[in-house]
Amino acid sequence: MRPSEAQRIPRSVCVIGLGNVLMGDDGFGSLAVEKFRCQYECGANVEILDLGTPGLDLAPYLYGKDLVIIADAVDAGEEHKPGTLSTYCESDILTRRAPLRLTAHDPGLRESLAQLRLVGHIPFELLIVGVVPESCAFGTVISPCVLNSSSAAADRLASLLMERGIDCKPRRTPVPPNLWWLSDRRSPVPQANQSV
Amino acid sequence: MTKRIIIDPVTRIEGHLRIDVEVDNGSVQNAWASCTMWRGLEKILKGRDAREGWLFAQRFCGVCTTVHAMASVRAVEDALQLEIPANAQYIRNLILIAHALHDHIVHFYHLSVLDWVDITTIPKAEPARAASIADGVSTWPGNSRRELEAVQQKVKGLVASGQLGIFSHGYWGHPAMRLSPEMNLILFAHYLQALEFQRQANQVVGILGGKTPHIQNLAVGGVMNAININSLATFNMDRLGTLQSLLQSLIPFVQQAYFADACLLAASYPEWLQYGRGVANYLAVPDLPLDAKATKFDLPGGVIMNGNLASLRSIQDWRDRPIRVAVAEDVTHAWYEGNGAQQPWKGKTDPHYTDFQANGKYSWVKAPRYDGMPMQVGPLANILVGYASGHALTHKWMGAAQKRISPVRVTPEDLQSTMGRYLARAIRSAMLSDLALQHWQLLADNILKGDDTTYNPPQFPAYDCEGVGMHEAPRGSLSHWVVIDKGVFSNYQAVVPTTWNASPRDERGVAGPYESSLLANPVADPEKPLEVLRTVHSFDPCMACACHTLDATGREIAQVKVL
Repeated sequence: MRPSEAQRIPRSVCVIGLGNVLMGDDGFGSLAVEKFRCQYECGANVEILDLGTPGLDLAPYLYGKDLVIIADAVDAGEEHKPGTLSTYCESDILTRRAPLRLTAHDPGLRESLAQLRLVGHIPFELLIVGVVPESCAFGTVISPCVLNSSSAAADRLASLLMERGIDCKPRRTPVPPNLWWLSDRRSPVPQANQSV
Repeated sequence: MTKRIIIDPVTRIEGHLRIDVEVDNGSVQNAWASCTMWRGLEKILKGRDAREGWLFAQRFCGVCTTVHAMASVRAVEDALQLEIPANAQYIRNLILIAHALHDHIVHFYHLSVLDWVDITTIPKAEPARAASIADGVSTWPGNSRRELEAVQQKVKGLVASGQLGIFSHGYWGHPAMRLSPEMNLILFAHYLQALEFQRQANQVVGILGGKTPHIQNLAVGGVMNAININSLATFNMDRLGTLQSLLQSLIPFVQQAYFADACLLAASYPEWLQYGRGVANYLAVPDLPLDAKATKFDLPGGVIMNGNLASLRSIQDWRDRPIRVAVAEDVTHAWYEGNGAQQPWKGKTDPHYTDFQANGKYSWVKAPRYDGMPMQVGPLANILVGYASGHALTHKWMGAAQKRISPVRVTPEDLQSTMGRYLARAIRSAMLSDLALQHWQLLADNILKGDDTTYNPPQFPAYDCEGVGMHEAPRGSLSHWVVIDKGVFSNYQAVVPTTWNASPRDERGVAGPYESSLLANPVADPEKPLEVLRTVHSFDPCMACACHTLDATGREIAQVKVL
């Protein structure tokens, strides 16, 4: 039996950025969800989370969700140019055929999903918006090609939600993104002999 | 004949720990712990605003984010001699307790219990018998026959599918796996239930920290939680009530499932109370301050040498002078420029890679030393220091553990072992679960008294100042060492728990805790060195911050090479 349209709309949704902001393009996940948060507004059933590199601690955030979309840097093989954006489904990550690897956090995602499957709380649908990184070397910088793809990634996250009937629309007035780790801000430091 | 075994990586998550052991006659004769990648975290903090260091520090590691944030603000507060309000202490303490409970639960069930539990025997278990065994040792409601049957069905499905998935790398059928199918079923049922309690501990951190992971409520000088008991928008009675009910639901799992299971494991594998002693010098720093000035603490600190509890030197508070001069990091066998040891405020992090040289440099981890001696840190150090200090809560839970494990005897001497580290972590968790409600009460009482202050603004002197921020983290004593010049970091060194424990040899050739704990460790089958993993996992290794790295490609499967 075909479920009615209303039932098919995922109720609990999580948009997750994975990656380490201290490791260059590995910070793509944080960047993409921050841009998404600033350009779009969603219903209260949509959580937007920058989770860093949680390893097995990812499981609690996926627990029982109807839909999870993860933004991350992915190692998709030599033939893809840095900055290339792709969308994958759960089976692309979990089957051994695919060469795809999420940078650094792959074991955490697979293990978390396997645990949740055992307890019967695996997300109903899991998607990944991945970018091919240029460099995940240590440092708080993002390659220009990956930075350029981040707005498109935010749009991709939004259209994946909208296609599924989830409440998500462009903000009338976008909020400036807080890319705190990329900014080299040097606000004046309060000195002992100054008033604060 | 001596065989060389290389296990790389050893950790289930946050990898990059390589262990080399030489095995002769079924036991380890020599061992090396090596961290295989570098990232130089400290370099990223130099030149940054000291008020923002914690934001970067909590990205050191994906798992222990909170602990680095906390050590970082405490380091700056120490440098400025800045007191923080009592509310801020209690809010920080509740975050630290919830994080530690989460971390200890995950370590026991998800990261290490499968070294002891053979899940492939679970289909043979009799659930009714398992339920009656579990009922005999614990009042935990998750041990019903129906619950255990459901878990068994899941495992049967998994085993029948022939695809064990994430469980396919276990050493199933290994002769060192000795639990009955029923015991395996009980422990694996709790493995699955732990996922739910992991979530609840996270929620506590989220309510107080504004976000988890990567809490947002810290500030140098206190916390940014606005307190107003009558306002809906702030930290109010409603939030306090939610916190209390989350903590109250977490405590039974810790005390009746986790603590009981750790005792059951020790009683079932008593020989592991004899292996894995290693370095018997212990360091714990005081934590969970009880007043604004941080003069009194709920977890005592101290130093014990040579496993002798009478040698205890108490560390009364974070202003302790001896620790500031005693700690140094030796790079003789680490992939950094130079030789010998440097005090962290003068520490350098200049890489010098040479490939693995067993007699030369062989790890990205520096070798921290206390008065020139290697030290073991972690829950075991915590419990021994507490026991030697006459700390009532430590004695309460140590006594409870001894009673459960009897007739197997567990003295503080026996605790200094592979299984002892598992027990100590469970004892510490039980203690923290008691303290959780006490610190909730302290916060509630202080707020109801009318105190709503949470923050004292920092002021930076025009001259250089040094500080150290200490925290007794889940894996042991953590310290961030900072030098601040007009509000900006001019040096930043993090001496983390896994650096103490995974330390390579030092200038005098003295091995670190992992390395020496492996000596005389049994190895029945060099192709399946399960026993080596048991001892290394007993320390709860997490290399991400210790060696300052993250693998950009992510290796999936541990390699075991027998040379």
